[in-house]
Amino acid sequence: MRRRLHRPTTLVAAATAGVLLLGACGAGGRDDDGGGGDGGDGGGGATAPGVTEDSIKIGAHFPLTGVAAPGYNEIPTGAKAYFDYVNAQGGVHGRQIEYVVRDDGYNPTNTSSVTNELVLEEEIFAMVGGLGTPTHSAVVDFLNDEGVPDFFVSSGSLQWGDDPEAYPYTFGWQPDYEIEGKIIGQYVAENMPDAKVGLFLQDDDFGDDAEKGVRQFLDDQVVAAERYTSGNTDVGPQIAGLQAAGADLVLSFNTPSYTALSQLVALRLGYEPQWFYTNVGSDADLVGSLLSRFSEGAVEGGSSSLDGVMTTEYIPGVDQPDDPWVQLWQKVWDEHGEKGKLTNYRVYGMSHAYAFVQALQAAGEDLTRDGIVEAMEEVGADLEGPQLAPFRYSSDSHLGISGMRVVEIQDGAGEDLTPVLITDIGDAEIVEDDSGQDGDAPPENGVPEAP
Amino acid sequence: MQQLLNTALGGLTLGMVYAAFALALVLIWRSTRVVNFAQAPMAMVTTFVALVIVDAGHSYWLAFAAALASGLVLGAVIERVVVRPVEGGPEINAVILTLGLFIVLHALAAVIFGNRYRSFPAPFGVRGIEVGGTTIALTGFGIFTILAVLVTMGLLLLLFQRTDIGLRMRASAFNPEVARLLGVRVGRMLTLGWALASVVGSLAGLLIAGGSLVHPGYMDSVVVYGFVAAVLGGLDSPFGAVVGGLLLGLALSFVSGYVGSQLVALAALVILMLVLVLRPGGLFAQTAARRV
Repeated sequence: MRRRLHRPTTLVAAATAGVLLLGACGAGGRDDDGGGGDGGDGGGGATAPGVTEDSIKIGAHFPLTGVAAPGYNEIPTGAKAYFDYVNAQGGVHGRQIEYVVRDDGYNPTNTSSVTNELVLEEEIFAMVGGLGTPTHSAVVDFLNDEGVPDFFVSSGSLQWGDDPEAYPYTFGWQPDYEIEGKIIGQYVAENMPDAKVGLFLQDDDFGDDAEKGVRQFLDDQVVAAERYTSGNTDVGPQIAGLQAAGADLVLSFNTPSYTALSQLVALRLGYEPQWFYTNVGSDADLVGSLLSRFSEGAVEGGSSSLDGVMTTEYIPGVDQPDDPWVQLWQKVWDEHGEKGKLTNYRVYGMSHAYAFVQALQAAGEDLTRDGIVEAMEEVGADLEGPQLAPFRYSSDSHLGISGMRVVEIQDGAGEDLTPVLITDIGDAEIVEDDSGQDGDAPPENGVPEAP
Repeated sequence: MQQLLNTALGGLTLGMVYAAFALALVLIWRSTRVVNFAQAPMAMVTTFVALVIVDAGHSYWLAFAAALASGLVLGAVIERVVVRPVEGGPEINAVILTLGLFIVLHALAAVIFGNRYRSFPAPFGVRGIEVGGTTIALTGFGIFTILAVLVTMGLLLLLFQRTDIGLRMRASAFNPEVARLLGVRVGRMLTLGWALASVVGSLAGLLIAGGSLVHPGYMDSVVVYGFVAAVLGGLDSPFGAVVGGLLLGLALSFVSGYVGSQLVALAALVILMLVLVLRPGGLFAQTAARRV
């Protein structure tokens, strides 16, 4: 019934360019964290740009404004709190970490210009945690051409790590969307073999990679696949399509705003399938706050709004206050955070900041851009941290965390449905993780040692 | 069948919002011969005014009225203070000015109200109506949207066709010199035109926000679609604006549902181009194309 044209990306880009032109003009306000004067090479043993005897300057691009901002704009506040915490303990090899965040509004054009600023004017040593698939795609070539370490991209696209020869300086961090699709696909195939599966996908690498993973296990069970374009908030036609196809289990690979929108549209349509959201879009607190206002108790406000929804998790979150990692994050946030409470997005920021501090430790005192990349390829797979499953870093793969567990949300907290499962892209088998990463604890002072 | 119905109903509700927005553009066009691109951020600002009032614990309807009232004031003030100095010059000056206003209002709203996505309440619930066991994609708020836009269109038609003040507004837009000679206070008519248009724009803002999420850029796509709808119906015709909005809403909903949501913006531009090539005056233009 519904025919999908074959990736007419350029056409659409040309068409939307006109439409977006107006939108792009507005909503200004750039966040000028840091940006202190002492950029450039300093003396001492290190010669890398952005590194001096007593400081390292790193940068990141995040959507601090616009459609993708809710939640995501909290990630850099978490990372900054953790870097400040490390700085307060003397920094890494005596160097204080200076963290410069720029707002790209989730608009690839802006990402290019702010990345130029960061690399050429601010002279950052490395990009850390730059967020978004379409946004980071716009700068990944530039960063690699310039030889800027591009660590821990905040996106699960495969392109950050499946071909290190193409992008030797880029490393992924979170589990890629394909393995999430595989793990969800296998879970559904084993536990819900009679479900009629509908897919609700963001129309880019996010949805495509996930679909590839899901279809490895569920191709026969999928009755419909609908795609929404990020930025177009009317998802009514897509959800109506899933309903018409009779899907009683919807696997959704979307961002948090679209979780709220899809729930709203489902109410309008009287459509009540079992929902299974990607970990990207399933933050119960955030979605709950977006849905909280809708009247007549039609939508439960607060964290219980996603009760019964299935999702996955790969790092402990604020719903597990007894986890030693979460206790560390809470302490960091209390001591160095801004206003507001600790959220899962801040935990995410702290978690990748933790990994970056580990990378700096591993690279040693004579910090160079090539040195830190080599160090990650050598020891990256052994790094301990909040992640439930180990990283996959090696000279053959720069993909990040190797697995996750499937959970069901109850009262805003995830209840485990499976143990931690690990796998890799392609035909790699899905197996139970035995690394012991799940259940480990951070070091006493909360700052990682060199591995 | 149900999908067809639901896609159509979704398009109908959305089309009504485009229609309201197109009405606002038509109003300003009729009274000043300017296309007001700042209409979207003006409506956004008044919607945020409503949200502030709701946040303070007052009722939805108080907020609704306050938003419309602030739209009236905002429209009048902008005409008097910002647009008036360039009136009388080439019309393109005023159009460019509205583009500038677009950016200024956007930035101001981001500073004052913040850039977060926030949910906006709806007074009639967000569940679809049940008919014979199946739910159709028409909410109480959707029905309110449709009625509100139809009533607004009716009132505007009455104003322009049946009242003295409407006649004076049309006269001052059509030929300010002659109108002035005949004793029409042209300046006041222009202010009134902007104020009324801003109220209608605010209504569109409230209708699209209800039961959904708002942020400073949430109206930006609506200004484009509203403009296409207005051109489709003919920039001179309130009735045409509503029909144009409906047609566009339905067309875009079907494109999104049956072709692909990535083609929605493209489809709108194709429609715009087709109209401009085949019927530059729009489907319902009452006068022959004016030559300048």
